[in-house]
Amino acid sequence: MTEITILRAGPLTTLQDRGRFGMLKHGISASGPMDRTAFAAAGAALERAGSTAIEYTQGLSIETDGEVIVSAGEKRRLRAGERLDLPPASGNYGYLRFEREIDVPLLLGSRSTNVTVGLGGHKGRALKPGDRLVLGEPGIAAPAPGGTPGAGPIRIIWGLHADLFDAALRRHLTEQPFTISASLDRMGVRLTEPSNLFASQRRLSLVSDAIVPGDIQILGDGTPIVLMRDHQPTGGYPRIATVVSDDLDRFAQLRPGTSVTFRPVAL
Amino acid sequence: MTGELKPTLLPLGDRALLVRYADSLSEAANRAAIIAARRLEESPPAGVEEIAPGLVSVLLRYGAGTDFRRLSGEVALLLATPGAERQGQARDIAIRFDGEDVPDVAQRLGLQPADFVTRHNAAPLRILATGFAPGFVYCGFHPAELVVPRREQVRPMVPAGTVLFAAGQTAIAATPIRTGWHIIGTTAFQNFDPLGNPPTGLSAGDTVRFTVAP
Repeated sequence: MTEITILRAGPLTTLQDRGRFGMLKHGISASGPMDRTAFAAAGAALERAGSTAIEYTQGLSIETDGEVIVSAGEKRRLRAGERLDLPPASGNYGYLRFEREIDVPLLLGSRSTNVTVGLGGHKGRALKPGDRLVLGEPGIAAPAPGGTPGAGPIRIIWGLHADLFDAALRRHLTEQPFTISASLDRMGVRLTEPSNLFASQRRLSLVSDAIVPGDIQILGDGTPIVLMRDHQPTGGYPRIATVVSDDLDRFAQLRPGTSVTFRPVAL
Repeated sequence: MTGELKPTLLPLGDRALLVRYADSLSEAANRAAIIAARRLEESPPAGVEEIAPGLVSVLLRYGAGTDFRRLSGEVALLLATPGAERQGQARDIAIRFDGEDVPDVAQRLGLQPADFVTRHNAAPLRILATGFAPGFVYCGFHPAELVVPRREQVRPMVPAGTVLFAAGQTAIAATPIRTGWHIIGTTAFQNFDPLGNPPTGLSAGDTVRFTVAP
C-alpha cells in the first residue's frame, strides 16, 4: 500500500474524476475537472492512469512513502520517500494523475469532489496540508484529450433568457472586453467591466430553470458570472448566453485580471 | 387539460436541449413537464445522456456528435402524441412548525399561527420538482389565499430538514442551504442520502401530505 501526503496545496485543491453524471434529477450537478483537456492530457501521458486526479491551484507539493508513477503532463517516477514540488499551472488549474486509483469511496458513481455541497472526493472538501491519500488498484489506459484548446474570443450561444435583454445589452456582451475577477471558484467566475451596463437591466422574476456549465448569468447588481462545474443544478437569475463546451476549458484557465471577449456563434 | 400545452425546444449551450412548457410556473406547465420527462425516459432519443425534469421544463443533456435540430425533431415527434399522467407515490411528512417566520407569515395572511398550520396541512401537495440543491423539493400548490412572496433578504445557511414556505409552495431543504424563503419549521424526513440508490426518496409527481409532528 502506497500513501501520499499533501505537504502544500493552494485553495480549491480537490480530487476530480471525469464527473458525477446522471444525478441532475436528484439536484446534483456533475462537478469534474475545470479543464477537461488538461485532465485528459495528464492521464494520457501514462500507460495506465487512475480515474481520479488531484486538481491543484497555485502549485502542489506531495510526498510518497512508496514508489509511484505520476503525471502532471509528463510521466515521472517517484521513489519511496521522494517529494514532488509542482509549480503553479500555466492557468488556474493543474492536474496530477497517478498510475493507480486514489482510494476514496465512489459516491453516486464518482470520486469527484463537489465543494458546493460538500460531497465526494476526500471527505467532501478541498485538500489541505497533512491530508493522506492511499493509492489502490492499478488504473487503465486513459483516453487522449478530445481536441486542442482554441484561441481568440470565447464562443457563446445565446441563452435561455437572451430575449429578455434588449439589443444594446446583448451587443454589450459581445463588443466589450470583460475582465476575469479575483472572485472565481469551482462554482463560478465573476466578470467585471468598468461601465457595469448590466446593472441597468430591470430586475426579472423568473421561474427557476436548469443550469448548464458555461451559462453566463447576470446577478441582480449587474455582475456577470460564468457558472462552472460545481454550479447549482437550477437557478432563477437571468442567463444571457452559454459558453460552448469546447471553449469552457480554456475559459476556466483564464487568470484573474485577464481580459476576455465573447463571440456569438450559431449552433 | 394536459397535452394542450405545446413545448418550446431551446438549446442550452451546445450540449443540452430544454423542453420548456412555459416561462412562468403554473400547474398545467408543471404537469406537462413531468409527463414529458416520463415519456422521454421511457424512449430516450439517440445521443441523450441524461434527462432531468424541472418546474416547467425537461433538460436533455446530449453528447458530442448529436445534432440539436435532429434531436429537436425527434423530441417534438415523441411528445406530439398525448401522454398520460402517472400516479406517483404518496407519503406523509411530519413537520414541527417551530420556524422563526411562522408568526410573520401567519400575520401576513391574516391568520393565527395555529390556523396557518391547519390551512397549510389541509390538502395534499404534489412534488413539483427536485432542484437547486441535492434532494431539495418544491411542493405545491397551496390555494391563492396562502400565497406570500419570498423574503427580501437571503438568510445564511439553514440546516437540512428545514421546511420553507413562499410563492404558494412549501419546500424542504435536504442539505444546508442559503435561502430567501420563509422558515416555517423542521422535519426529521431526510430526502437526500448520498449512500442511497437512488439518493433521493421523492420524485416529481409524487404526493405529500403534511402533518404536525407529535
